[in-house]
Amino acid sequence: MSQPQAEVPRRKLGRTGLDVSYLGLGGYHLGTIQEQQTIDRIVAEAMDAGVNFFDNAWEYNDGRSEQVVGQALKGKRDKAIVMSKVCTHGRDQNVAMRQLEDTLQRLQTDHLDVWQIHEVVYWNDPDLIFAPNGVIEALAKAKQQGKVRFVGFTGHKDPRIHLKMLAHNYPFDTVQMPLNCFDGTFHSFEQNVLPELNRRGIAPLGMKSYGGSGEMLRHGDVRPDEALGYAMSLPVAVTISGVDTLEVLHQNLQIARGFQPLSAAEMHSLRERCQPQAADGHNELFKTSVKYDAKVGREQHHFQNEEELPL
Amino acid sequence: MREFGRSGLKVSAMACGGHHLGDAPEQKVANQIVQEALDGGITFFDNCWEYHRGKSEEWLGGALKGKRDGIFLMTKVCTHGRDKSLAMKMLEESLHRLQTDHLDLWQIHSVAFENDPDLFIRPNGAAEALREAKQQGKVRFVGFTGHKDPNVHLKMLQTGFPFDSVQMPLNPFDANFELSFEKLVLPELNRRNIAALSMKPICGTAAPVKQSIITAEELLRYAMSLPVTTTITGMDNIDVARQALEVAQNFKPMTAAEMQAVRDRVRPYALDGRFEPYKVSLKFDNPEARLAHNFPLDMQQKEVKEMLGASQNTGKPYPKYQSSQEQ
Repeated sequence: MSQPQAEVPRRKLGRTGLDVSYLGLGGYHLGTIQEQQTIDRIVAEAMDAGVNFFDNAWEYNDGRSEQVVGQALKGKRDKAIVMSKVCTHGRDQNVAMRQLEDTLQRLQTDHLDVWQIHEVVYWNDPDLIFAPNGVIEALAKAKQQGKVRFVGFTGHKDPRIHLKMLAHNYPFDTVQMPLNCFDGTFHSFEQNVLPELNRRGIAPLGMKSYGGSGEMLRHGDVRPDEALGYAMSLPVAVTISGVDTLEVLHQNLQIARGFQPLSAAEMHSLRERCQPQAADGHNELFKTSVKYDAKVGREQHHFQNEEELPL
Repeated sequence: MREFGRSGLKVSAMACGGHHLGDAPEQKVANQIVQEALDGGITFFDNCWEYHRGKSEEWLGGALKGKRDGIFLMTKVCTHGRDKSLAMKMLEESLHRLQTDHLDLWQIHSVAFENDPDLFIRPNGAAEALREAKQQGKVRFVGFTGHKDPNVHLKMLQTGFPFDSVQMPLNPFDANFELSFEKLVLPELNRRNIAALSMKPICGTAAPVKQSIITAEELLRYAMSLPVTTTITGMDNIDVARQALEVAQNFKPMTAAEMQAVRDRVRPYALDGRFEPYKVSLKFDNPEARLAHNFPLDMQQKEVKEMLGASQNTGKPYPKYQSSQEQ
């Protein structure tokens, strides 16, 4: 006889007044699933387990990720915190406002709960974002128009770039970044950015707890419960994890239901275990290579494409 | 000719890079390039134990036969974190291939990863090999190189080891980028009177030259105008060698204003690191270093293919070393 299963617990989403589940559902991977039925089922099962945070981005799978999540959330919009990201990659606020309309339409909603600047990963991105007529002006405008409630930015490259963004003292509500047991000792967002966000009351959103595509599970000698457990034990609002099959969802939910944070000693020993393999970041290719940098961003910055610069 | 750090020695302000020498089609061409460089006044020759699986050192050794005197010969040791005894074995191989009984400069190759400085300075690490080789008279000076992150260079300096030289990429793209060796490392070397050796004056692959953003001559002049001991540039054929030598022979340092103008001109292309892939991607990490760290390899990389494809080797089996850590 099985006991009624515990829900995924919730925490405050910074000072937004919203309560958010420890585990969030990543939008990129959902958009890679062929069958809408499967996507619907993943979203429904996740929500039944208490997951209420849905990540997305304008450019994920050329818009398909937003479309399929919009479809899956039909009739459930009110129970969800819907986030998407704007993909100007240095271009101006008009591009951003146009993308926002696309996003709202695809997600079948009249407003986003959180709208973030996607992929702040090039060293000059903060300057481009805060330039006159830059995307930062779109954030305020969209808020004013009631189309988005809260705003933030994301990036997976270097904590120093995040700190450059924060140095502008813009009132961001959320900031998203890679947080995992390898990050703890290498170009570390955990050490360099996370404390600053908590000091400022900005909601930290963690991502890439398995390395982006499960690299840490495949080559890093860590188990899913260790990797996801580590990420969820950090002082973050939510850990966003991508799911491309029901099996992965079930695995993640099993870890997240009734989650008890790891002890400081457990986290320390996991970091120590990962440290020798963390030192070049090959389990965090989003930091050390251009592999995870979006095509549009590379084009804006005139970087070589994936074929010319594979790693 | 310029002073080599605090040694009192003088070396040519341009140096012939060893990696590109191994890119020449055959030994004969390499000999011609070396002769051209010697005739042009170059005294400083760069190399490395792992360049082209030893071919670069062998060709340079052959090309310098009977001409060793007056040459400042450098090569690098490729322990990549592994121990002292491995370094000493590599030194013997380097000396043998280069057909000499001593090196003028022996440097730790490719310090790139966050834990490299710790692995270097640890007991029984490569730092002890540098000391021992100096004591034995097999090398006169020692240093380290790397192209990845100025902060890792600074960590190496913080180990307190008495380096004679430090090698790093210096070009106007670097100068504009946040991760800048010119801004973060070069002043520190000058302050400590450590010989600064610059490399990648044309960004390693000449990409900005090919895209007509700036000329090779301007880039070489820029690098040579910095407060460095020498600028190491690759020469894989006679034409490139002549072009570089011409810049060196007619060299007049740029004024501060000229240098600023060059930096300003490339600035729009420099702020995101697009022309410095050796800093922002894993593509230029060398496979030997990755293996030593047990990091995975990119099978598409030319060096990896060379390493795996025996047909492109000198024909000798690649030696298998094991560090004491692994044993």
